[in-house]
Amino acid sequence: MVKSDKVKVHVKNLQKSFGKLEVLKSISADVTEGEVVVLIGPSGSGKSTFLRCLNRLEDITGGEVVVDGVDIADKKCDINKVRENIGMVFQHFNLFPHMTVLENIMLAPVELKKMTKEEAMEKGLMLLRRVGLEDKAKVYPPQLSGGQKQRVAIARALAMNPDIMLFDEPTSALDPEMVGEVLSVMKQLAADGMTMIIVTHEIGFAREVADRIIFMDGGYIVEQGKPGEILSNPKEPRTIDFLNKVL
Amino acid sequence: MAKLIQILQTYSGMLLESLGQTMLLTLLSLIFAFVIGLIFGLMNVSKNKVLNFIGTLYVDAVRGVPLIVLAYFIYFGIPAGIKAAGVTNFRLTALQAGTIALSMNAGAYMAEIFRAGIQSVDKGQMEAARSLGLSYGKAMQKVVLPQAIRTMVPSIINQFIISLKDTSILSVIGFPELTKAGNIIAGNTFAVLQVWAIVAVMYMIVITILSKIAKRVERRLNVGKER
Repeated sequence: MVKSDKVKVHVKNLQKSFGKLEVLKSISADVTEGEVVVLIGPSGSGKSTFLRCLNRLEDITGGEVVVDGVDIADKKCDINKVRENIGMVFQHFNLFPHMTVLENIMLAPVELKKMTKEEAMEKGLMLLRRVGLEDKAKVYPPQLSGGQKQRVAIARALAMNPDIMLFDEPTSALDPEMVGEVLSVMKQLAADGMTMIIVTHEIGFAREVADRIIFMDGGYIVEQGKPGEILSNPKEPRTIDFLNKVL
Repeated sequence: MAKLIQILQTYSGMLLESLGQTMLLTLLSLIFAFVIGLIFGLMNVSKNKVLNFIGTLYVDAVRGVPLIVLAYFIYFGIPAGIKAAGVTNFRLTALQAGTIALSMNAGAYMAEIFRAGIQSVDKGQMEAARSLGLSYGKAMQKVVLPQAIRTMVPSIINQFIISLKDTSILSVIGFPELTKAGNIIAGNTFAVLQVWAIVAVMYMIVITILSKIAKRVERRLNVGKER
């Protein structure tokens, strides 16, 4: 896989507070094209909030978040346009229960006039094939298993042809036997060169797929590096302590 | 008993016609109330403080005034005010005034039904829609409202029934609905017991039919739904 040095996401001095609670104190990080970055850290460390700032699902309190050259911390930027290029997958899937699987996938491309209905349908079926769920196109989400729901959610996020994908604990709400099917779809995506930023507790997956692991705690990035360095040879005491608890 | 049958024979046309007027007023008002409720309900869930304030003000103001006072105000008060302002031939018919009063009243309750319905939809739905690049309005229209309205159906039907009964209040401005007809017939025949029994049963039949339809619609909407 060819990796370029083109910076897709540039974060500088990002701060985020909920009222008086400072969740992100000062985060700086760059993600380059095709890179797979995994965020780990104890709960409350701010990793999900960080991820949600990258497409401004959370309002940004301070600092810069530049995605494909657009500073989304700037209130005047067209955030909807930027979001078309950033797919997001949620812990609780958030599929639209009143639409079929295929309609879920077709909604954004058709509503945002990126594709005609026919094109979107073709694209939707292609994506469903890719996640192994072509036979579920006409089914409503409540009839799917957790793993199937999450794979549909990934297909839905891919329908807009994003070049960045954000994953917010995509396997945390799944029964253990369904984790594998979702991770394998994500692995495929990584192998295809997608830029991915993933919050997860699946350390094994991080070791295998990540180009870089970022360990966060208390609203800061404590340590980052290649999976081998971080997981086998952590330097910071807080990283060591965390890994001792989860490994 | 003979009296009852005699009244039914003589006045059935008038009773049925006034029932029709009751239904017309209810339906018109509910349609407007739906639109009013949607607009103010959306204001009430918006993050914009000004819209929030306007929405809350409307709901509080209208809920704080009895329907009968609202009806008097619109039917007598407003034309008098307009006349005082120099426009001489402005008049509202009883149907117009009644529809406005009932729409405003039911609209305030509908706004609350919309607010609760929208808030009952999981926050993740809006987030997922927005993360795909949909605007707030599109996300509301395509994702949140269709789910909200499903949960609102029982409350909307309940409001329909309340508004139908509230039309009787509008007899005070002379609108020829069922209660007004009852008044007239009771005055003509002095058979107050029979007349009001007939009127009560007529309301009851219509409302019971509506409730039954409502139950059926509700069941159909719930088929195959997880939550």
